[in-house]
Amino acid sequence: MSLLEVKNISKFYGNIIALKDITTSVEAGRVTCVLGDNGAGKSTFIKILSGVHQHDEGQFLVEGQPVRFTSPRDALDRGIATVYQDLAMVPLMSVWRNFWLGSEPTVGVWPFKVVDQTTAKGIAVDELGKMGIDIRDPDQPVGTLSGGERQSVAIARAAYFGAKVLILDEPTSALGVKQSGVVLRYIVEARRRGLGVIFITHNPNHAWPVGDRFMILNRGRSMGDFDKSELDLTELTRLMAGGAELAQLQDELAEAMESTD
Amino acid sequence: MSDTAVEASASGAADGAVDTAGTDERLTFRGPFQRLLTQPEIGALIGAIAIWGFFWAVTRPFGTAGGTANWLDVAATLGITAVVVAMLMIGGEFDLSAGAMTGATGIMLILLVKDIGELGGLGLNLFVAIPLSFIVALAIGWFNGTVVEKTSLPSFIVTLGTFFALKGVKLGFAKLLIDNIQVGRVDEGTGYEFWRRVFASTWARNDHQFEGRDVVYNQLLLLGVVLFVLAFFDMAFVHRRRSDTRWLPVVFGGAALAVAGYVLLHVRNGGDMFFGVLVGAGVIVAVGAWGKYRYEPRTSSDLIRPSVAIQTLIGGGVVSLVIAVITAIIFDAESSVSLREIIADDPLKAIYLTVLAAVAVALGALWASRSGHRTALVRTLSALAVIGVLIAILLLLSDETVREARIDFLTSLLLFTEQGIRAILFVGLVAIGLIAMAMGAVRAGATSIPVRSFVQSSIALAVVAIAFFVQNQSASRKFRAELFTVMLLLALVVFCWSIVSLLAAERSAPDAKADRIGRLTMTVGVVLIVLAVVVRLLFTTTAEIEDGVPPALFSVRIVWFIAVTAAAVWALARTKFGNWTFAVGGNKEAARQVGVPAARTKTQLFMVVSAGAWLVGMLLTFRLTTLQASTGDGNEFEYIIAAVVGGNLLTGGYGSALGAAIGALIMAMSGQGIPFAGWNSDWRFVFLGGILLLAVIANNFIRSRAEAVRK
Repeated sequence: MSLLEVKNISKFYGNIIALKDITTSVEAGRVTCVLGDNGAGKSTFIKILSGVHQHDEGQFLVEGQPVRFTSPRDALDRGIATVYQDLAMVPLMSVWRNFWLGSEPTVGVWPFKVVDQTTAKGIAVDELGKMGIDIRDPDQPVGTLSGGERQSVAIARAAYFGAKVLILDEPTSALGVKQSGVVLRYIVEARRRGLGVIFITHNPNHAWPVGDRFMILNRGRSMGDFDKSELDLTELTRLMAGGAELAQLQDELAEAMESTD
Repeated sequence: MSDTAVEASASGAADGAVDTAGTDERLTFRGPFQRLLTQPEIGALIGAIAIWGFFWAVTRPFGTAGGTANWLDVAATLGITAVVVAMLMIGGEFDLSAGAMTGATGIMLILLVKDIGELGGLGLNLFVAIPLSFIVALAIGWFNGTVVEKTSLPSFIVTLGTFFALKGVKLGFAKLLIDNIQVGRVDEGTGYEFWRRVFASTWARNDHQFEGRDVVYNQLLLLGVVLFVLAFFDMAFVHRRRSDTRWLPVVFGGAALAVAGYVLLHVRNGGDMFFGVLVGAGVIVAVGAWGKYRYEPRTSSDLIRPSVAIQTLIGGGVVSLVIAVITAIIFDAESSVSLREIIADDPLKAIYLTVLAAVAVALGALWASRSGHRTALVRTLSALAVIGVLIAILLLLSDETVREARIDFLTSLLLFTEQGIRAILFVGLVAIGLIAMAMGAVRAGATSIPVRSFVQSSIALAVVAIAFFVQNQSASRKFRAELFTVMLLLALVVFCWSIVSLLAAERSAPDAKADRIGRLTMTVGVVLIVLAVVVRLLFTTTAEIEDGVPPALFSVRIVWFIAVTAAAVWALARTKFGNWTFAVGGNKEAARQVGVPAARTKTQLFMVVSAGAWLVGMLLTFRLTTLQASTGDGNEFEYIIAAVVGGNLLTGGYGSALGAAIGALIMAMSGQGIPFAGWNSDWRFVFLGGILLLAVIANNFIRSRAEAVRK
């Protein structure tokens, strides 16, 4: 049984078809990559999975049960955590507060229930340490961190709270080569721990080494949902760019290069 | 504590050990002073102290218990709403209906209670009516929040609508039900006595005599200051791995000396200066030994000669202080002779003033040329010429025949009394001198610690000298009683600081343990200081009664104010709700995406504002018993101003409830201080506008300076 499965899901914004008939699944200990160019509908797809938006057609199953999330809270409660492309961080708040935002650990009895700061800071520092960033002052505002560090905070947070499924929306798009490597290694690590990972990217070179399953989106429609055994990297790249279009582009570029020589 | 927590703290400690070895070059250490300055409310706090000091100095009643009760009374109602409005602002929204709401809840309560027959007025018991009005208030807040959330309209528009609706409803119901825009007499309701005690009881100071008050006040205050200073040391210097216990006897010896001096001072009623010196010496010895005992000693004394710029600053400071003293000696403190007559009759003073003006202009020119502003130089030189001409005119005007032709501006200039000139020049020159020396000390600190310590000690000595000088010269009892002591205390603190920083190594890396201890000590110190002030405000002594101090009435609303502020500060800093408030104000979409119920949080914030407005409505109703239908209308901007003055960001996501409370204090102090000073209270608004602008600019400036990387 799949941890998470969507069958023929569609989403409309008024008369705009954002997504149409998307089908894919993710199993425990497997990585499903969702690939697509800009505007292919990747973000809409993620927002449905994470509960920000609701689907209009089709079936959304979590562990075999049909679900319909009304808020990201619902998704989190089912163990589905997301690293959003904009990272969903509050820049003026401290690292540990961002890490725990929405799921703060508390001590005491109502109405004197307070956030357990010692535990929260300790765990935040620990989890970030596992991601390879050494935050020396968990009270420092997130806005003062570098892009890569912020990304790591977001991933560490999702990994900590995503008990079953981890969704990563373009986690490598803003990163340098070295830090992308860290993120990819982290995906493999999450996979090894038995989490289902959904990895959204427009870079087939990042998707290929870590993915077990590939779903390609183009203009809101699925170009197919493949197992790793069914295709290779060139094929994946070709599919993603829309096949014939890429061949044409290569020819044109080759001509242009020759003429400048 | 759970196992994970223990693990976490253990690994945190391990991290700390590693950190001291290899520090992250991207993180710079921030000293205690810098950390203090990054607090959102610090600008407001400094402003509040300055305004308090200003009105304390210029008016007689302001600093007394009666005056304090007076402005605290105004601050309380303003502050309660300012605090809740600040919470909402941190959450990223506004509520313009808060002002009208205070009146609306009060009027609703009275109408519920009144028994006026067929047309309305339910004649309810107050025990029913008060909870009922609270529920209605919450419902209005819920309405505001829900409409803002459901429609995604700016809260500015939605609550503006609620404001007008409430304003109309108040007038409409008042006219419909009792045909009067004065809605009155809540005291006719059953249960009035009980609720009056809750919302409007008072503490009459003159009924509470406490002979030991001054002793308690002095000792708590001193203890508080000592703890505060020690906490500052703890956060500023490197701790020894193992304390050097050899110095402990010296610490105790110094402390014993100080205590003995203090006790003798008390027994002799403060008459003998010798004991004061004893206290000072004891404190200095004790603090110096404390530094040797507790902190890592400084290894190299790197004595570098201070640069010319620093020397100029320090020299200029000293010269300025000397000129200040000369000014004070030349001019008479009592004389109300006008400037015109001085110029006419006293050549010595006239020459002195001219020389002073010339020196000032020359210094300005020098400064302008040094910093390379050619145009500024030209401007300064022409200013010099203008001043020369002005003086000539003044001299001419002092001539009897020319005096008949009055020129208003000049005559008003000439009406400055000798006393006034003396005060202005003296205070200005002293301020310039001390600031210049302090700047010199700070700059010297970057290169040579001994030089800085030397300059700081000189500042301390200068302050002591000025304190004694002014005490001898002044006719003001107020000054002799309080400011003199405060100046001596400040000088002592500065002196101790310079000694310890000469002996002990300053910290340049974070030390979580020391910071925690320091913060705890500092909190205790502040609590003691506040307690001291409270004791002094609430109790009187027989001596005071015989002196005929006017009675002061402290209203219970001040307690409400403190309680609401404390609750808000606690909620914002420690609870989930507070965390979510910052989150929805800082980045609502992000907050929602990670599972914060953003809409609910915002709606709850609107309800908190309504609850605050309701509380103020109750306080007003039980104070006045009769309300105007327009009560509270238009106050909403004052709440927002108080919140902004307190360092809250208009765009949300950053701010402090404590800051809003201090903002309310600033506004109340200026509002009440102006009439105390005998000025036309219409000027209040000019003052308010000025404070608002200044506060925002100062907040931005302080924050950016404090956050800038320290070199």
